Amino acid sequence: MGENVILSVQDVTKRFVNVVALNQVSFDIYKGQVHGIVGENGAGKSTLMKILSGVYKKDKGIIYFDGQEMKVKGPTESLNLGLAIIYQELNLVNQMTVGENIFLGRFREIGGLKKIHAKARELLDSIGSHIDTYSPVEDLPVAEKQMVEICKALSYNSKLIIMDEPSTTLTTEEMNRLKEIIKDLKSKGITIIYISHKLDEIFELCDRVTVMRDGNVISTRNVEELTRPTMIAEMVGRSIENEYPERASKIGETILEVKNIRTNKLHDVGFTAKKGEILGFVGLVGAGRTETMRAIFGADKIQNGEVYLEGRKLDIKSPRDAIAAGFGFITEDRKEEGLLLNFPVGTNITMASFPNFTVGGLLNKAREKEIIERQIKALDVKTPNADIYITYLSGGNQQKCLVARWLETSPKILIMDEPTRGIDVGAKYEIYVLMKKFAEAGGTVLMISSELPEVLNMSNRVIVLSDGKVVGEYDPETTSDEKILAAALGEEVTE
Amino acid sequence: MKTNLKFGNVGKIFMQQKAIIAIVVLFVAMTIINKNFLSINNMASLLMQVSVLLIMTLGVTFCIISGECDLSLGSQMCVAGILSIILQRYLPLPAILLVVLLVGVVIGIINAVIIVDQGANSFIVTLGMMMALKGVALVISNGTPVAGKSTAYSNFGSGSFLHIYYITWIAIALLIVCAWVLRNTQFGRNCFAIGGGTKNIAAYTGINVQRHRRIIFIISALSAALAGFCLSAELNSGSATYGETTALLVNCGCVVGGTPFNGGYGGIIQSTIGILLFGLLDNSMSMQNISSYYQQLIKGIVIVVVVALDCYARKKKRETV
Repeated sequence: MGENVILSVQDVTKRFVNVVALNQVSFDIYKGQVHGIVGENGAGKSTLMKILSGVYKKDKGIIYFDGQEMKVKGPTESLNLGLAIIYQELNLVNQMTVGENIFLGRFREIGGLKKIHAKARELLDSIGSHIDTYSPVEDLPVAEKQMVEICKALSYNSKLIIMDEPSTTLTTEEMNRLKEIIKDLKSKGITIIYISHKLDEIFELCDRVTVMRDGNVISTRNVEELTRPTMIAEMVGRSIENEYPERASKIGETILEVKNIRTNKLHDVGFTAKKGEILGFVGLVGAGRTETMRAIFGADKIQNGEVYLEGRKLDIKSPRDAIAAGFGFITEDRKEEGLLLNFPVGTNITMASFPNFTVGGLLNKAREKEIIERQIKALDVKTPNADIYITYLSGGNQQKCLVARWLETSPKILIMDEPTRGIDVGAKYEIYVLMKKFAEAGGTVLMISSELPEVLNMSNRVIVLSDGKVVGEYDPETTSDEKILAAALGEEVTE
Repeated sequence: MKTNLKFGNVGKIFMQQKAIIAIVVLFVAMTIINKNFLSINNMASLLMQVSVLLIMTLGVTFCIISGECDLSLGSQMCVAGILSIILQRYLPLPAILLVVLLVGVVIGIINAVIIVDQGANSFIVTLGMMMALKGVALVISNGTPVAGKSTAYSNFGSGSFLHIYYITWIAIALLIVCAWVLRNTQFGRNCFAIGGGTKNIAAYTGINVQRHRRIIFIISALSAALAGFCLSAELNSGSATYGETTALLVNCGCVVGGTPFNGGYGGIIQSTIGILLFGLLDNSMSMQNISSYYQQLIKGIVIVVVVALDCYARKKKRETV
């Protein structure tokens, strides 16, 4: 092979009580490569990363890092060895400055705050970033926070950087910056493990790819030897014919009219939606997509604007009013704004539909159980039973529970904000089918997504927002991706 | 790993609880050491000692599960107790109870308006309220203990049925009602949804979060008013010096029982176990003539150890997941 192996994982096994999370996993990673790891949720990627970074202990197996056997007891030790991990949810202290975050816990070693900021500047410059080292991290957009994390990893002279789903919250533009940084790091001889659900990125960035499924390594190959269908087939254990179902096709009359909504961030946003329609919303982060939905749903104060549902003007002051009027809202951030992690699967599903199983505030638990069982069956939620905590389910199944929560309220309008973020290919398809079914049964879906292919393949119409304004409306069947993207970027569109 | 956890699965609660282990050990040890411990008299008075605290614990459990706390309980109890004695000159017993409860509701509303509508922190507001109400108690009692004159009232306080004091029966009845409410009503379910830092999620699912939070402070205040009424009946006197540490003890009892301070988990049974442990400790140590200095020391150590063990177990559980 001729190349140096920087990390060699040999027969690593990890079990949690009665679940085998990793089953004799083996693969090598070569120095200076970008190595992709793909697999559905629950395939064992995160467990493996946590073992590498020292958060978990492995039960069996050996790991060699940089020629030596790796026996770390905690994250700090693996950092000092030169192995850094950047988690999806990022690990920064929001109130502290960029410089302080990069050298957190090492102020004395570096020699005081002034030197910290000077060194942080050097590191940021080295990856071509112009962030002020004195600005607090909380003021930065996600993409820049990620750069701070990368600098933090570099500050430990890391030889191997693991990036766990780095692109989920990035816009296309920010993603391009990240790609450049990764290529730059690679040219400096730093090895990268890149974990992602987005296969496009894997094909573009990675030299080699390991596919995992159910705690096993299915294959490790050079990227040239792989095709998209084979990779998907290996990930899900079966071949998937289509990534998207056919478009919803039973479109009726106009049901929702939104006029001139104005808030702090929105400037006269208006649109209409029809019965049976999936209406896609495209825009960069900060363009006002989520804000529009929050305003309609009564979660944000609106200064001006009108919402008509079935011709009647609505007066929505809180989410309660919106739900009563027939809206449902599957929020973008499952963990922070959707799931009640201290609740079992069942009660998470029934959370929004108390009227269906309460009389005068008393719970009818038999009725509730019926609802839960019906929804779990209807949406094919994979769970051992309805009483386990929802945390134990995979992302896709958690998302199905949220869909179930809102379907149980029989909404007329279902708002879905990034409906497939962080869930695997198989589950994505199931969510798409659910959306389509809901629409064809007469419901209306307002879908926000940062994944352009998803919006273009699912929507009947696409509304593009930019800077708090509607800048265009397109038919995704006849419009090219480039045109829609250009509109979202705020560029002049020439017909 | 077994993860079958429903709200209030009694068998499981016992397994998860460190406080209950402490209770069993202490109970068995005391039965062996002191032959008077298991006597009907001692058991009845042990339950009596716990009853007043338990009434408030039940009330404040709704607050704590919802992620709030109420430190003004002790002073509220004091004010209610003194009022119960003073009003004997003017009103019959049922009317006194009604007035005392009404005063409780008013105090609850004041707490709620400041905390919920102005968005203040419940720890600080109720702490301030604790001081202010302590002042009220001192003013209306003129700083001296006031003795009761109504025999009906003192009979209520010292009377018993089947060797168990009336007040204990009240506490037991409330215990059953509260446990039922927490498990079988939408209000109870909402407590868990709002506590544990998930207020915004609860609001998104259509729960009227603000109204719920107002109600829990009123419930908590009502429980303190009732507790004050019972305490004064038991002692046949009221004083501004009662209940100095009550609020801390009651809030702490919930946590020792396994309801975390930021809410989201826990239950009535758990809180009851917590406060029962305190009562048992007090009773056992007094029976063994342990000096009050050491009583303080031991009680403090038990609180810290039980909470630490509970957190350790929870942490272990998280790691194995």
